[in-house]
Amino acid sequence: MSYDLIIIGAGHNGLTAAAAQAARRRKVLVLEARAEPGGLAAGLEFHPGFRTSGVLHDSSGLRSSVITSLGLESHGLRRRPISTSVFAPQAEGPGLLLHGEPSRAAEEIAVHSTVDAERYGRFCEFQKKIGPYLRNLLNTAPPDISPRGFGQFWDLFRRGMGLRRLGREDMFECLRIGPLSVSDWLGEWFESDLLKANLAAPALLGTWAGPRSAGTAALLLMHQSVAENEVIGGPAALVRALNAACEARGVELRCGARVARILVDASKVKGVELADGQVIDSTRVASAVDPRQTFLDLIDPRELPLGLAEPISNWRCRGTTAKIHLALDGPLEFSSRPGQSFDAVRIGEDLTGIERAFDAVKYRRLPEAPHLDIRVPSLLDPGLAPDGMQVVSIQVHFVPYDLDGGWTDDRRADLIESSLAQLSKVAPSCRDRIVGHQLLTPVDLERDFGTSGGHIHHGEQALDQLLSLRPQARCARYATPISGLYLCGSGSHPGGGISSAPGMLAAQAIR
Amino acid sequence: MPLPSPFHERTASLCESLKFKSWAGYFAVCSYESHPDPEYFAFRNSAGLLDITPLFKYELSGEDSAAFVSYMATRDVSALKIGRVTYSCFCDQRGKVIDDGTISRLDEQRFRVTTGSPAYAWFLQNSRGFQVEVEDVSESIAALAIQGPNSRRILAELVGPGIEDLRFFGLVAARIAGVEVEITRTGYTGDLGFEVWIPRDGALSVWDAVMAAGKAHGIMPVGLDALDIVRIEAGFLLQDVDYFSAPRCIIESRKSTPYEIGLGWTVALDRSPFIGQKALREEKQRGSDWGFVGLEISWEGIEEIYTEYGLPPSLPTQACRMAVPVYSTGRQVGQVTSSTWSPILKKYLALATVEAKQVEIGNQLRVEHTVEYERMRVLATVVERPFYDPERKRT
Amino acid sequence: MSDRSYDSIVIGGGHNGLVCAAYLARAGQKVLVLERRHVLGGAAVTEELYPGFKYSVCSYVVSLLRPEIIRDLQLPKYGLEILPLECSFTPELDGPGLVRWPDADKTRREIARLSKRDSEVYPLFGREMAKVGRMVKPILEMVPPDPTSLNPANLMEMLKLGRLFGRLSEEERILQAKMFTMSAIDFLDEWFESDLLKATMGVSGIIGTFQGVRSPGTAYVLMHHYMGEIDGAFRAWGISKGGTGMISQAIAESAKNLGAEIRTEAGVAQIMVRAGRAKGVVLEDGTELTARHVISGVDPHRTFLGLCEAGDLDAEFLASIKKFKMRGSSGKVNLALDRFPEFTCRPGDGMHVRGDLAIAPSVDYLERAFDDAKYGDFSRRPFMNVVIPSLLDPSVAPPGKHVMSIFVQYAPYAIKEGPEAWPERREAFGDAVIETLAEYCPDLESSILHRQVLSPWDIEQQMGLTEGNIFHGELSLEQLFFMRPTPLWARYQTPIRGLWMCASGTHPGGGIMGASGANAARRILKSRVRA
Repeated sequence: MSYDLIIIGAGHNGLTAAAAQAARRRKVLVLEARAEPGGLAAGLEFHPGFRTSGVLHDSSGLRSSVITSLGLESHGLRRRPISTSVFAPQAEGPGLLLHGEPSRAAEEIAVHSTVDAERYGRFCEFQKKIGPYLRNLLNTAPPDISPRGFGQFWDLFRRGMGLRRLGREDMFECLRIGPLSVSDWLGEWFESDLLKANLAAPALLGTWAGPRSAGTAALLLMHQSVAENEVIGGPAALVRALNAACEARGVELRCGARVARILVDASKVKGVELADGQVIDSTRVASAVDPRQTFLDLIDPRELPLGLAEPISNWRCRGTTAKIHLALDGPLEFSSRPGQSFDAVRIGEDLTGIERAFDAVKYRRLPEAPHLDIRVPSLLDPGLAPDGMQVVSIQVHFVPYDLDGGWTDDRRADLIESSLAQLSKVAPSCRDRIVGHQLLTPVDLERDFGTSGGHIHHGEQALDQLLSLRPQARCARYATPISGLYLCGSGSHPGGGISSAPGMLAAQAIR
Repeated sequence: MPLPSPFHERTASLCESLKFKSWAGYFAVCSYESHPDPEYFAFRNSAGLLDITPLFKYELSGEDSAAFVSYMATRDVSALKIGRVTYSCFCDQRGKVIDDGTISRLDEQRFRVTTGSPAYAWFLQNSRGFQVEVEDVSESIAALAIQGPNSRRILAELVGPGIEDLRFFGLVAARIAGVEVEITRTGYTGDLGFEVWIPRDGALSVWDAVMAAGKAHGIMPVGLDALDIVRIEAGFLLQDVDYFSAPRCIIESRKSTPYEIGLGWTVALDRSPFIGQKALREEKQRGSDWGFVGLEISWEGIEEIYTEYGLPPSLPTQACRMAVPVYSTGRQVGQVTSSTWSPILKKYLALATVEAKQVEIGNQLRVEHTVEYERMRVLATVVERPFYDPERKRT
Repeated sequence: MSDRSYDSIVIGGGHNGLVCAAYLARAGQKVLVLERRHVLGGAAVTEELYPGFKYSVCSYVVSLLRPEIIRDLQLPKYGLEILPLECSFTPELDGPGLVRWPDADKTRREIARLSKRDSEVYPLFGREMAKVGRMVKPILEMVPPDPTSLNPANLMEMLKLGRLFGRLSEEERILQAKMFTMSAIDFLDEWFESDLLKATMGVSGIIGTFQGVRSPGTAYVLMHHYMGEIDGAFRAWGISKGGTGMISQAIAESAKNLGAEIRTEAGVAQIMVRAGRAKGVVLEDGTELTARHVISGVDPHRTFLGLCEAGDLDAEFLASIKKFKMRGSSGKVNLALDRFPEFTCRPGDGMHVRGDLAIAPSVDYLERAFDDAKYGDFSRRPFMNVVIPSLLDPSVAPPGKHVMSIFVQYAPYAIKEGPEAWPERREAFGDAVIETLAEYCPDLESSILHRQVLSPWDIEQQMGLTEGNIFHGELSLEQLFFMRPTPLWARYQTPIRGLWMCASGTHPGGGIMGASGANAARRILKSRVRA
């Protein structure tokens, strides 16, 4: 049997690439090792009657261009404009509800600092001003680091000029901020610890870096500039829509089909061999699994092109995120705002606390006070839990993959306990309402979802692993030195999260 | 400071000249007496005994060891028989030579590789995906080269007449003075000769036994100066002299491919992928830019330029490793990298890297030679290598 | 008027100020250098605080001093002699430690004890760094171009830079991009596996910065230190015979010989500005001196926030200067020793201690030292770089006795009790240093005759370095090249016409390099030609 294109991995990026390629009348086969499509975006029943909306729970980065070009809305996707109000509760104090609308957010901030409230508007404006430039950078294939020919030089020049168009001062400001730590940068603007901790959090998702690590300011800017949509039902709903779009276009999806080898001969892709020995021919293979596995596990080392093995084996993908799912038999209530419900919550009252949580990872230890990024998906999609009950999805930072002494049952219990202790500080009633829970450590994530190091982004998002260097200069533009082999997962520009951008950009690069 | 080799106790007490140098971090004798000539003639007329412990030695074992060695080397060793040795280049991914050395198949799944510079990291770095174990045995294995027309007789006294059957590039396990050793019929002298691989602890016993058995056959301990002369006669190149290991070069132009240093015959192109294959295949198609040749520098020419100054011709008693330019019709076309006076052939020999179009046998070039601080050019002719190739080497 | 008017006045007699003055004098300018203290040299001074023992009080090693400056200013003629530090020794508590020797094979065997693989990779790493160093070298000698300006001269410089970049191979470009963004340890992880070796090498990435070995951006600082050049040999470090002060003295002598006037104990109170143009300076005693160029050899904070009137500068510029991170992170302990202190793991005063010693037993140790500092305390178990100059240069101590120079990190300027609390914390800090060192060198405490402890607060108070930052500002990516000290004013000039900067707070920055001073002089001389 032969296909025009085989895609390895039916995560959201794999499905996106499949749907986009099938739209070009190509016969596409998607091979998924798990029993269901979706990967880290898929919903998961973790307790009888309770489902998550995806291990990754933030869908705000999903690109509008993906929704429109794949017609996802006609396949059941519902979205609302981004208006995420993130709540930062306090053990003592009113907490801070950071509205998506700057003026309303400012009112909330004023309770904590009038100076910050006044600056917040300007802060948002600055982000808005440079937003288009960053969006352009993040929504197109990265520039070639060694331009060949006029076209590529022109591309590089154009991007340079794009930055210049921001004006001399803003351009310099971008260059200056980029390498800063998010703590330093926010420190230049604000004084309120609670506000800073809340604003900084998105920059640190899935990084091996703390708020005081250089380069995190750039990550924050990038994250903020592409927050566009909120998918109702979360990533799981996106997976359903993508799946429907694939089906409508005749994509063949095979679950439970683990790829053992990508077959390469004389630097050309020939097809894949499944774990059961079956060989499927195709002259095009796109891998949505992480770069480390793609190049080091799935390809015969002798067929790897010159100078690829070294940089890829140096690819850093030390997972730092654990996932806890809670089934509650009542609402998640906060002492700061009794009686109110919030679907997005961040627990961490100051950057120093987050930094200390990161310190633990450096020594392969568990953090004493982890930082929690919480969603309550059942508030928006009540179908996820039985009536009156709630699903709480928690991303726990920072949790080492290579925990000193290994992930024993005791250490798992310790992590759950310290996370619940953090949560109980601001939501004292929560502990009694827990009827079920699940912990996924980075090691579990690696085992269950096949991401190297359990890294939710298929590789750390550090300045040297972004843009034209993600995952390596010679395969940063989705094509690889192996003719017919493409990358289309989070290990490619613009990186991890529920954006579908790597899948979409890869589909455009597949010839 | 260099370290003593396992043979140092013996070599140091014999070394009257006190001339040592550092070879890969070990003390190595340059010549035991002030002049290397007697040692040179021992190699060519009786037998010489040389401490070659400083060579780097690696053992590669495991299910994929044959596949792995074939992947690393320019040779395909998958068909190499147990008990056979081969000579190969090791290249980087651009086909540039990193090292050259011998590969012995000790067992179905065990190989020993010798190299001129450290290669452990390079092996390890490329071993991902192969079932192979890389072990550095450089320090645990001592080695002696017994070379020269009488070498076989000496060994026969020590291990029995069975050694007569050991073919060129063959390997056999044996016992010398109660020490389990491996003997290979290999060497760097271009003559009949053997190399003995000895567990470090047995080093001195083997040395003593060989010296005792060799006494009647005129054996002499030999230093590196004499070796340098015989290896040029044999046309063998030397790393860091005739070529440079690629990863240690700062500029590209310093690096060489096997074809460029006359080792194209070690490259087996049409087979499963190996490191450098693509680049070497392209070079093979395109043709190389450089070639490696043996030159015979006209003695008459030398005499002539010395005579002009009223001087008798004189050459250094040692091989010369200083590179000098080679010209063709007034234009520089390459460089001599090693040269020596051959006491047996009575010829002035040189190894040179020249432009590919200059490599034809019989081609006449000119080599720089300095007399009385003045640079002159002397006629040199491209000749076959090896310059000296006795029948006994193979038979 | 005539004797009070100069072509150029240089504020601060540190090595950069002196280099700048010497170059200007060499070009025929009438130059005056004003130094607040009684000694020249700024952070590069030698002082005899205990009879018979000469301390290189602050800066203690040289590697980065540009050889062309040594040649141009004929410094050896004026007494400069640099003695190379041959070895580097990292002692251990439970092991023999690691020594890197001048002999490559010996170093290979030494490293092989830790990791065979690393021992072979080590020389390749050095070669790679030498390559990067050569790529960066031309940039050091360059006045950084303004990437936003379209004026032709500037475009030419950009083009030159582009060509430099264009000449690099793809691997080299990637390497460069990585060096600028990675942490020292992430970068070293790509090459090495031995923790002790990585710790030993990683410290070059944090010296003088308020960053840990795992902080992104420190790979660059690592390379910055690889650029040290003595007699053309890369990475070699040395000490100045007679102490670091001899460097400043030699430069000063050379400058004087070229006609520059140098005054000590002449602190500048203010830079005079009329109609947006620097006219001269007012000394602390009220004397007014005028000049066509006023050149600040002190750090950007002190220049603009201390010596200029706020009204002379616009608010945005001042804000950008305030954002320029100083963050002193290191202290210095100098000891006069009665006898040679034996290191338990490798006794004797052999070659191994005639170099620099690093107390850096593991990567985690270094990172923990940083963690202490991050939260506002000095490191309980700090990283230290120790040199015993008296082993190489007996002239700095009485016979048989020794001077020990200990560079200590981290000692954050902003300790949580506030920097003013340093005088009370100083000795506790000194104790932590001695205690740590005594673990490796049990003899140490009983052999101390005198100790001098310098916290960053003291460095600020005594040497005038804001926040005690030895590099006049963090060497972090956003504070380098065309952004040092601020993006809009990185070409040695300032918003005040006629006022220039020539010290480490400008490109290419810290260390006893002298490049900033020389580059600034070049730039000033060019401006004169144009006028």
